[in-house]
Amino acid sequence: MAGKSGRNISAEPQNSLKNTVFSWEGILVLIFIAVNVFCAFLSPNYKITNILREMPKYLAEIFIMFPMVYVLVMGDIDISVGSIVCLSATLACMASNAGVPLLVVLPLCLAIATICGLINGLILTKFQELPAMIVTLATQIVFRGIAEIALGSGGSISLSSTKDFKILAGKIGPVPYVFILVAIIAVVFALILARTSFGRKLYAIGSNSETARYSGIHVQKIRLIIYTLTGFMAGVCAVFLTSVLYGANTTTGSGFEMDVIAMAVFGGVSTAGGKGKMIGAVISAFIITCLRIGLGLINVNSQIILIILGALLIIAVLLPNIAALINNMKKMAAKRAA
Amino acid sequence: MKKEALFKKMSGSQEIVLTLVLILLCVIIQIKSPSFLTMTSINDMLKNNAVIMLLALGMLCVLLVGGIDISVTSTSALSGMIVGLLLKYNIIENTLVLFLIAIGVGCICGVLIGVIISKGKVPPIIATMGFMYIYRGLAYVLSNNQWASAADLGNFKNFALGKFLGINNVILIAVISYIIFFVVMKWTAYGRKIYAVGSNSEAAAISGINAALIKLTVYTIMGGLCGLGGALAVSVYSSAQPNMMYGQEMNVIAACVIGGVSMNGGRGSVQGVLIGALMMAVINKALPLVGIDSIAQNTVQGAIIMVVIVLNVLMQRSTFKNSLKRREM
Repeated sequence: MAGKSGRNISAEPQNSLKNTVFSWEGILVLIFIAVNVFCAFLSPNYKITNILREMPKYLAEIFIMFPMVYVLVMGDIDISVGSIVCLSATLACMASNAGVPLLVVLPLCLAIATICGLINGLILTKFQELPAMIVTLATQIVFRGIAEIALGSGGSISLSSTKDFKILAGKIGPVPYVFILVAIIAVVFALILARTSFGRKLYAIGSNSETARYSGIHVQKIRLIIYTLTGFMAGVCAVFLTSVLYGANTTTGSGFEMDVIAMAVFGGVSTAGGKGKMIGAVISAFIITCLRIGLGLINVNSQIILIILGALLIIAVLLPNIAALINNMKKMAAKRAA
Repeated sequence: MKKEALFKKMSGSQEIVLTLVLILLCVIIQIKSPSFLTMTSINDMLKNNAVIMLLALGMLCVLLVGGIDISVTSTSALSGMIVGLLLKYNIIENTLVLFLIAIGVGCICGVLIGVIISKGKVPPIIATMGFMYIYRGLAYVLSNNQWASAADLGNFKNFALGKFLGINNVILIAVISYIIFFVVMKWTAYGRKIYAVGSNSEAAAISGINAALIKLTVYTIMGGLCGLGGALAVSVYSSAQPNMMYGQEMNVIAACVIGGVSMNGGRGSVQGVLIGALMMAVINKALPLVGIDSIAQNTVQGAIIMVVIVLNVLMQRSTFKNSLKRREM
């Protein structure tokens, strides 16, 4: 336990087995195992090979979750990511159909998404009074709107040649490229958040952005960087989504922002800022992915999965609060008795 | 001197500036397309946007206490769907009873959200996001992915066509709601308590206001309005589908923010919300009239929302600067 002075005054070593198991991340690992056992029990088809085959469909979303954890840790929010995915995927498909080679399409797609993120960041840092929720809400409408204009009256586009994008959906043995990339990016993002001064600055901003500013952190510069990064990662998501869906339409990526925020929050990241670890978010992302694959295998209605997701999300935040409340009541009772 | 003070007061008040912008917008559209300001056109516009206007009222209260509710349209869809199903299987056909059921369902949904937020201390955005999934999912599960079409709705759909005192029923409900909320928010202890909790929850608690209870009731009211809105939407569009009003919660929030309601709580007014909601309605209605392609409508709408909120900030900055100058003297 950290004392008021900030020093560690706990008798228990910080990394003891007890602390590891009873931390939120430890509980998440247990839930992850439970979900896998549950799914294996439900369907005989729930095997490693099947899971890895189904995974690319769901993994693309996780790319956005990494920067979203940063955004949430800063105490901000970005609900325009789904629309950025839609816009960049649409334009990438159009470019690809126009005969542009893959090596040009990919940077183009990433550049468009990065510019979208940059626009978010610029508006938010120039007009700091504006809540992030509202700004990204407006850009959400605009970005998807531009995609709608580009798509025209049909409202959808499919790749005329899937050859190029199929390369991205390739595998090493049974393991798809996406999975490896997600793992690498997860490690990089987790290390930056936990081990670098840049990562610690994000926590400082999230805890109290005024104090952070007075202690010499360029709050607005960092916000701009993070929002641009979020745009970039939405572009990465768009690339891999296209490699699975072979096209785009006006609803591509809709709801991603909520899914991604749900994953992060379920992983213990606070929307109020300053709290949360990347590892928790990653585990929770895989819990949700496995649950979707498992329930998908036995043909459960996707809407029921949504209900389960919603309930999990609320319970995940509610349980620690109730535990704290009961603890508090016990303490009060003990005081009164004494 | 007095005249100058009046002018200052007027230009400083956000609602009046917004009204002027709205009038200007209407005039421009009217010049471009004379069919805009006719009785039928206005009637259509208000009728189609009445649900959003109603939800914006509830959202005002939620935003005032410093919360947010993104589950509103899911609650509407759930209660609307229940109404549709009751009609489809001929269980209840009385319009009034159906409305009461819808409001009741909405209130129950709202109470649940309110308890989780005020007693469970779950951040509003997380709690309502969870319930957004849950209620929408329930609507799908209950309906088994089926619609209730116009033929199933029987007499219920006539409610939206009916008139009372020459005003369409749906519009009348919206108008009455606005009047009630205006009075409650401005002149009753309950209304002022909502503002107090939003401005400073702790100070309100110390001065004897039960902040948790106020929050709980606010989310319940929001739920009730969602239920009413859901039933109205079923009547207006004469069909009930589980995906109805999907994504519209953002329009509701946008209407509030355009009307000058602060997302941090404690600031905002019923007349502001009315103007914000009307502006959204006018934009929706006018874009096709002035010849903007229907494909481009979302983009233009989003851009207008962005411009209005940026203007809001710039205006606040200038009033803040002015008041600073006055203090220096």
